[in-house]
Amino acid sequence: MFLPDFDYHAPETLAEACDLVRDLGPSAKVLAGGTDLLIKLKHGLVTPTAVISLKALDELKTITHVPGRGVVIGARATHNDLVNSPLLHERFLSVSEAAHKLANNQVRNRGTVGGNLVNAIPSADLPPILIALDAWITLVGSNTSRTVPLHSFFTGPSCCVIDPVDEILTEIVLPDQQTTGSTYLKFALRRSGALSVTGVAVAVTMDGDTIVDSRICLGAVFPVPVRANDAEDLLRGKTWSDELLAEAGEAASCCALPITDIRGTAEYRLDLVRVLTKRALKRAITEGHV
Amino acid sequence: MKREYVNIGGRLPRVDGMVKAAGEAMYTGDLSLPGMLHGKLLRSPHPHARLLKVDTAPALTLEGVRAVITGEDTLKFLAGGIASPGNEPYLAFEKVRFVGDAVAAVAAVDEETAERALALIDVEYELLDPVLDPFAAMAPGSPLVHDDAPGNISFETDLSFGNAQRAFATCDYVRYDEFKTAPIRHGFIEPHAALASWDTSGRLTFWGSKQSPYFTYRNMAKALDIPMSKVRIMQSYLGGGFGGKNEMFNLDFCAALLSMKTRRPVRIVVSQEEVLYAYRQRHPAWIKLQSGFMKDGTLVAVDAEIVAEGGAYKGIGALSLYLMCTFLALPYRVANLRAKGCRVYTNTQPSCAMRGHGVPQVRYAAEVQLDMAARELGLDPLEIRLKNAIQSGDTTGNGFEITSCGLSETLLEARGIVERWRGETPADSEPHLKRGIGVASYGYLSGPRMAGHNTSAALIKVHEDGRVGLVTGSTDCGQGSDTVLSQIAAEVLGIHLDDVQYGGMDSEIVPLDPGVFGSRVTFITGNAVKWAAEDVRAQLAGVAAGLLDAEPDDLEFRDRRVFVRDEPDRGLPFAKLVKSAQYSGTGMTILGRGYWAPEDIDLPRFDTGMGNQSGAYSFGTQVAEVEVDTETGRVKVLRLAVSHDCGQPINEMLVEGQLEGSSIGGIGHTFTETIQRRRGQTMNASFLEYRMPTALDACPVEVTHTDTVDEMGPFGAKESGEGVQVAVMPALVSAVHDAVGVWFKEVPITPEVVVEALGRGAEAAQNADARRGADARRDSRDDGRSRDGESA
Repeated sequence: MFLPDFDYHAPETLAEACDLVRDLGPSAKVLAGGTDLLIKLKHGLVTPTAVISLKALDELKTITHVPGRGVVIGARATHNDLVNSPLLHERFLSVSEAAHKLANNQVRNRGTVGGNLVNAIPSADLPPILIALDAWITLVGSNTSRTVPLHSFFTGPSCCVIDPVDEILTEIVLPDQQTTGSTYLKFALRRSGALSVTGVAVAVTMDGDTIVDSRICLGAVFPVPVRANDAEDLLRGKTWSDELLAEAGEAASCCALPITDIRGTAEYRLDLVRVLTKRALKRAITEGHV
Repeated sequence: MKREYVNIGGRLPRVDGMVKAAGEAMYTGDLSLPGMLHGKLLRSPHPHARLLKVDTAPALTLEGVRAVITGEDTLKFLAGGIASPGNEPYLAFEKVRFVGDAVAAVAAVDEETAERALALIDVEYELLDPVLDPFAAMAPGSPLVHDDAPGNISFETDLSFGNAQRAFATCDYVRYDEFKTAPIRHGFIEPHAALASWDTSGRLTFWGSKQSPYFTYRNMAKALDIPMSKVRIMQSYLGGGFGGKNEMFNLDFCAALLSMKTRRPVRIVVSQEEVLYAYRQRHPAWIKLQSGFMKDGTLVAVDAEIVAEGGAYKGIGALSLYLMCTFLALPYRVANLRAKGCRVYTNTQPSCAMRGHGVPQVRYAAEVQLDMAARELGLDPLEIRLKNAIQSGDTTGNGFEITSCGLSETLLEARGIVERWRGETPADSEPHLKRGIGVASYGYLSGPRMAGHNTSAALIKVHEDGRVGLVTGSTDCGQGSDTVLSQIAAEVLGIHLDDVQYGGMDSEIVPLDPGVFGSRVTFITGNAVKWAAEDVRAQLAGVAAGLLDAEPDDLEFRDRRVFVRDEPDRGLPFAKLVKSAQYSGTGMTILGRGYWAPEDIDLPRFDTGMGNQSGAYSFGTQVAEVEVDTETGRVKVLRLAVSHDCGQPINEMLVEGQLEGSSIGGIGHTFTETIQRRRGQTMNASFLEYRMPTALDACPVEVTHTDTVDEMGPFGAKESGEGVQVAVMPALVSAVHDAVGVWFKEVPITPEVVVEALGRGAEAAQNADARRGADARRDSRDDGRSRDGESA
């Protein structure tokens, strides 16, 4: 239960960091908040010979609105930076609320949004709401920079499209959008300090009582955060009602393929998808971005 | 007869509060000595295996490793055992019996080296079939955890009085139910820790993290085969115990033996993960319960078969089983009872005492069944309890003598709470949210009589400035006993709480004292302190009588003064009196000595459960209100209330702390906590996945004191704390039933379990309504009454 020996780097610039990632190759790991990586190191689950800390890159910590791009969240912003961001409170309170549901206060003080995404565990709390809000991310390499829609970022449990020997996730962008409401509902076995059994995020675009469009993303019920396309199709263009939202919950459960583990059975997770989808939709429709 | 006290009954802040809050309190893991080595234990990864080889040579070659010990280096002392000899080696030899059983221990210059050395110890196991379920363990032909325990039976208790079987035939209503409780953990935040220092004179100094340091003191001398005079045990601050730090453990022994081998101090602090998978748990219990009633609710007969999973070793499990049987019916009167208990070995971590010690399991079953019977008989849950409530002066069929008892008063108090809450509770706000209220009562002992030594002791040393030092063998594991005991000394001596300094536990100074378990400290150690303070007072009164020309019996000690009763001006300051006594003539050493245990308490008959076990019994009633989400199955505990009789509270704030802690702990036991195992491996050995309630899961707890005065208790006090732990589960389970009409006979009631019971989707809420409606109809059919505020 001790940290193994490794070389430690804390580059001063992003370019320097990217060069290190490229030069050190697969033997290196990038360290942001450390709430996942340090535990894995102590348990011997990863055995890098070098750790590249992003701690000196303060430019990756900001949360700002950039006209034409949207809300840009630096990858090193901590969960509590999201929780306390006036900009997010104003535009996407749902993202702040989702961050607040994550882990406990100590972890929220250290853990970062970029780390949460790259760690890519299926039960992570931030991906569903960010995907529902159509977020995309920027991956910077030593000579490259590319944007990836977050919904196509994850490829499996603990796997994502980032090139581990060349790229660093630098920012998450919530584009300016027409959505009128969004929310993330998490179900865990305790109010704090617990991993999600199932999480459902939705974003809706309403015209009066008509659902112009919706995005529904399910967490912890598939190897990756997954869009409930069937439910979204079912809702499109319809006037909302409790019955319709219940049907959407049913449809969403068909998009999930959960496993049974110590936090719940697959069957129960499907129950939760039905209930949480219905409730999340109603909340986003009637209360806005919450 | 109540009287006014200065230091008793108020809301005095705890004496160790500031030091703990400031982070200055030193726990065993914080201590270090020059040249200290760090120890680690190698643990079995298998639930059941024969040890073929333990080769420590490779580990010894690692730089920084100073010693490695195995079972072969020990005297093969077997620890534990009440009612019969123990069977737990501190380091395994021949066999390992659960995942986490210790096989070897290393001392090295730092923890990292010690941990690395563990990986170099070469252990060869021959895997044996494990027994992982108590019923499979009892089946013929099952592998044996201990060769000398056929059928894997660890201990049996068979308590019988009256004639339950015959009495059932006379009952108007008999019901049978099967209940099950979960293996749960104590959840203390300070992990087990030990620091041992052996010197060449053959003397061992040991700092432990113990509720009962004397148990370790005694066992340490035996296990190392050294005289008790050569063992010195000290106790620093303790970060929680809840019954899980009573015994001497392998780390304590290994720290001492490694220190002997290396002639260096050795400290071992285990990780929280090790605490969770390799140390103790509460006995999970399977309870088959049959109860018979008359139409008016009179409880006539009870018959129970209890199977308790003991895990790999005996420990103090015989006492656990005995308590499960003897508390089957308390706090109610019953003339016919049979309780057949069986503790069974399995290849899992050993079960031991935990807050309430066996009683919460059986009383969960009995209280819930009482509620079920009340519904069937059309009686109010509070009425059926009042009908059967035990009273002062009663003696139970097995010999418990109930001296003071305010149970009925607590039930009447609870009735007021229930009525108020029903009035305040809004109608179900949304179709899927259902609210319910439940009640349950308890009785508990103020210190169990153990087989051996049972007397607590206290010493008070008076300083020349009029301040005093107090030591006892009790340790403050968070319950506040340092404060309570200091208050008692201050009250007797007429000085302020600030004037009493509670000293730490040190076997060099403190007389033999069993320590902290079974809610014994306030009642038993409190009396010892009272006696020690009275001894001081008598010595000083003799001197003061001469100075004041008065009779010693006419003197009053109050507000740091000693004066002739009713003549407050004829007196002198306490400090001046002390100085006079110490400085005049040959001079006196004012040292007060007290020891106490209740007289005429029977030695426990572990096999038959007969005999009076304690000098006093506490009582109380718990009320719970919950809200059930029928779609997700989540139960939110909205509020809890305790109305209790702990005699005269010594410190109301500490009593409330105890009651609140027990209540919130019960939320975890009822809804979230269980050890999840697969093939003997613990799957949730972390506080992330072993889900104790957090502050956010807690709820307000209303506390009402029903003060009785116990004639035997110090200033009339009885136990407070463990008792409440007994009634929380059934009150919550009853509240859930009130909300959704389902009885849950197994805990924990996870959200998934609720969903399974109610059915899925929208029908769940309708099912809940239908079940509740059926109850209400039955109530009104049976006696023309509807339940409070529900069917209207």
